[in-house]
Amino acid sequence: MAVSQRESEPVFPTDREDQLVAGLAALAIAIHILEAAFPSPLPGVKPGLANVVTVVVYLRYGLRVAAWVALLRVLVGSLLIGTFLSPTFLLSATGAVAAIVVLGVIGGIGRSAVGAVGLSVAAALAHMSGQIWVAYSLFIPHPALLSLAPVLLTAALVFGCVSGLIAASVDSLLRSRGNPTHE
Amino acid sequence: MRILRAGDVLILLAGTALVGASYAAFWSPRVEGDKAIISVGHDTVAHASLLEDRKIPIDGLLGRSLLQIEDGRIRFTESPCPGRYCIHTGWISRTGQVAACLPNGVVVEVEGGAREFDAINL
Repeated sequence: MAVSQRESEPVFPTDREDQLVAGLAALAIAIHILEAAFPSPLPGVKPGLANVVTVVVYLRYGLRVAAWVALLRVLVGSLLIGTFLSPTFLLSATGAVAAIVVLGVIGGIGRSAVGAVGLSVAAALAHMSGQIWVAYSLFIPHPALLSLAPVLLTAALVFGCVSGLIAASVDSLLRSRGNPTHE
Repeated sequence: MRILRAGDVLILLAGTALVGASYAAFWSPRVEGDKAIISVGHDTVAHASLLEDRKIPIDGLLGRSLLQIEDGRIRFTESPCPGRYCIHTGWISRTGQVAACLPNGVVVEVEGGAREFDAINL
């Protein structure tokens, strides 16, 4: 890459944040695709390990970078899996946007009082609620879908806790290694 | 760094409450029935699921009655009877509700889910 950069200067030079976003998004996309390869016991239920990346990025670099990483993951992930612009993509995008909004709101209210677990649980529940809402209002407006909601929300709560604990340990690992944050 | 902070506990409690509330809201026993039993005279001629929108023709004593299922409800749309009471009954969806065209001998009763009443007379 260094060679080609020397040959022609990019029209829009990238700054450090762009490179950070690109690297983190690549990580999130890899996790996203790995997860998509595993069969799911129940449609709509996934561990959501890519959520770990979003939460850790939010904790270390703030909302803007986290939003970029999450949205790039959904976009590029869907292109690679082949679901771009399909209902799956729309559900995925809704979930990501809902999760980011809730991260922003909760982080804005009490950044110092909330850790990775709280953020992750809130984001997972927002993700799932957003998806259920879109699925119900756009795709399957049938009451049977809503009676599935409690099960899906329970799964979101459990997986939110798990990925929150993972995010907390990743964050403290990064901290102990002394990786500088951008803040 | 502590793993759980005050805000985390608060969010966990609120999240659990939300999930609990979703069970209460969406998993309460269904008062709406999910199928209709259609009979002509004393014979049951069809068990129709109310989950699937469609039209069902039923041949009765006088002629053909037409039933319509939509959004978990069922109604008579056409019947060869003089009074059209069956059609004026309108949509029925609750367990135990009955729409009947007596001249034609066609009776529709909603079944399934939790039964609130033995019968509903409007």
